[in-house]
Amino acid sequence: MDAVLAQGFLNGGVYALIALGFILVFKSSGVLNLAHGQAVAVLSYFLYYMLVVWGLPAWLGIVLIIPLGAVLGVLMERLAVRPLLGQPFLSVLMMTLMVSFLLEGVRILFWGADSFTLPFTPRQGQGWLGTVLPDWINPSSALAFAVAMLVFVLLTLLFRYTKVGLSMRVVAADHEVAQSLGIRVKRVFSISWALSGAFAAMCGILVGMVFTVTPIMGSTVLGKGLPVLLLGGLNSIPGAVVGGIIIGLAEALGSHWFSAAKEVVPWIVMLVILLIRPYGLFGEKRIERI
Amino acid sequence: MLPSGVFNRRPQQDMAIIRTRAQWLLLAGGLVFLVTLGLYAPGHWMNWLILVGVYAIATLGMHIMTGLCGQFSMGQAAFMALGAYTTAYLGTRYGVSPWLTLPLSGLVAGLGGLVFGIPALRIKGFYLVLATIAAQFIIIWAIKQQTWLGGTYGIRDMDKLSIGGVEVAGATAEFWWLTLGLVVIMLFIAKNIQRTTTGRKFVAVRDNDLAAEVMGINLFRTKLLAFFIGCFFAGIAGWLWAHNLRAVQPELFSFQLSLWFLGMIIVGGVGSTSGAVMGAVAIMLVDKAGPSLSTAVQDAFPSLKYQVSGAVSLIMFAVVVIFFLLIEPRGLYHRLERIKLYYRLNPFAY
Repeated sequence: MDAVLAQGFLNGGVYALIALGFILVFKSSGVLNLAHGQAVAVLSYFLYYMLVVWGLPAWLGIVLIIPLGAVLGVLMERLAVRPLLGQPFLSVLMMTLMVSFLLEGVRILFWGADSFTLPFTPRQGQGWLGTVLPDWINPSSALAFAVAMLVFVLLTLLFRYTKVGLSMRVVAADHEVAQSLGIRVKRVFSISWALSGAFAAMCGILVGMVFTVTPIMGSTVLGKGLPVLLLGGLNSIPGAVVGGIIIGLAEALGSHWFSAAKEVVPWIVMLVILLIRPYGLFGEKRIERI
Repeated sequence: MLPSGVFNRRPQQDMAIIRTRAQWLLLAGGLVFLVTLGLYAPGHWMNWLILVGVYAIATLGMHIMTGLCGQFSMGQAAFMALGAYTTAYLGTRYGVSPWLTLPLSGLVAGLGGLVFGIPALRIKGFYLVLATIAAQFIIIWAIKQQTWLGGTYGIRDMDKLSIGGVEVAGATAEFWWLTLGLVVIMLFIAKNIQRTTTGRKFVAVRDNDLAAEVMGINLFRTKLLAFFIGCFFAGIAGWLWAHNLRAVQPELFSFQLSLWFLGMIIVGGVGSTSGAVMGAVAIMLVDKAGPSLSTAVQDAFPSLKYQVSGAVSLIMFAVVVIFFLLIEPRGLYHRLERIKLYYRLNPFAY
């Protein structure tokens, strides 16, 4: 039981990191980026390709893949989402979905149905991390959880103490107000998409370590990220962390008791939450006027 | 807009769907063409035509839910599955006549839609999209778990449909005529829903649900009704598909198929009944071109050894929808209207 709970809790950290990638974009530009899942998959396949086919050392691959993720994020914003500024909600949503189809198509073309294990994945009983931790904790999950928490703290600091973070918060509150205060709203969009892309790369590394790199990785990421996102509220960063841990625990317990239910537990939790608190645990309730 | 010199003298004329003699002629010619297509079309086109019919009915449901009422659904394929499994199970297990299960399939799918539509009262936009994605995954998962529904294997060996002693099954002309008939009936129903009070209520809810509520429209009823009708259409489409294949299995009703339906209404033009059918035809035409393109890609780049055809069909679908989103956001229907307007007014600008 301890092992089940610990594993769920640690997985929750990874789910939170996935959800943070969605929230960064949603907070600033109001777009739910459904391409995030496939971006994660493509980036982690590319990382594997760099490490194995090009033979780069692991640290160099990780250093390279994060800026690449940021570039991918900016490209998605520039080429796909920005032309649709001011278009109805369905168009933007469809656009991100189609970008995800494109990414998936490209991934299938180059890597097909192969699945990989990232070579630097820490293993039980091997290396420093594998021996320090008790044997009922998966070292890769523990490492992923630690990285996710570190990123969460860094993100909180970024939003609280830096000028970029401040401008992102203003843009999140109101685009017009932000523009009239002299903030370049479009540049803030780019920055938040770049950050989200870098997050996708990081998720690619961590999810690849915890769940191995498989063809269904993109939909797995989407399938875990969206319930977490909804549970925590679409625009709350602490919400993502709390939601991630709740979903991780619920999934671990659910699959412990009914082993077949692993894939749908997050969705069922999400539907229940939607019925009770439609705007998530920490999301702002929007007051609408005619 | 009517051509110059044509006036509506009676209210019936104003309400008619088909107004002028030219339109009647075109309709009759088109129907004759489509009906006789069953006699000489080769087998693979026959399959394609029937599939287009099935998808067109499901897309009409999406059109009512999403295009008219603004309630986004990404779970249409799962509701199709409900309809398909209803007829397959009742038919193979209890020998219920398929014609009896036709309305029943629609009803079961519609009720499924109501269950997942209830959160729609309180949520909208992204939250609703996520709830319908949840519907997709939960329904398909639930079907896979049931041994009496055949699990992942599905239900095979359904009886052949028969109309008055004539067997209707597979990719035959008879099945195509049945499909065509159903599509025409559903198109007629959808068109009439759109232009009656109900349809206007849907449009009011889509445009601004708060304003609609202030004007005295019962939001709860209207949204649920939109869900029910949309899923009813999906159930009918599922019924038709099940009887075409004479087998159902959970893999048929994938999340990706649900997204195809969304793509179809975008390509056809959001909010137009005939656009939904046009979108289905257009997307399926593109899909039909997939295999030849993928062999071309494979010949050009022999190093790509993986599932090229799957990747190419994904990429083509994405490129077509992106094209329409960026260049022609109001869809094929709108472009057709513009062309018609141009020739009606030619040589004047307006």
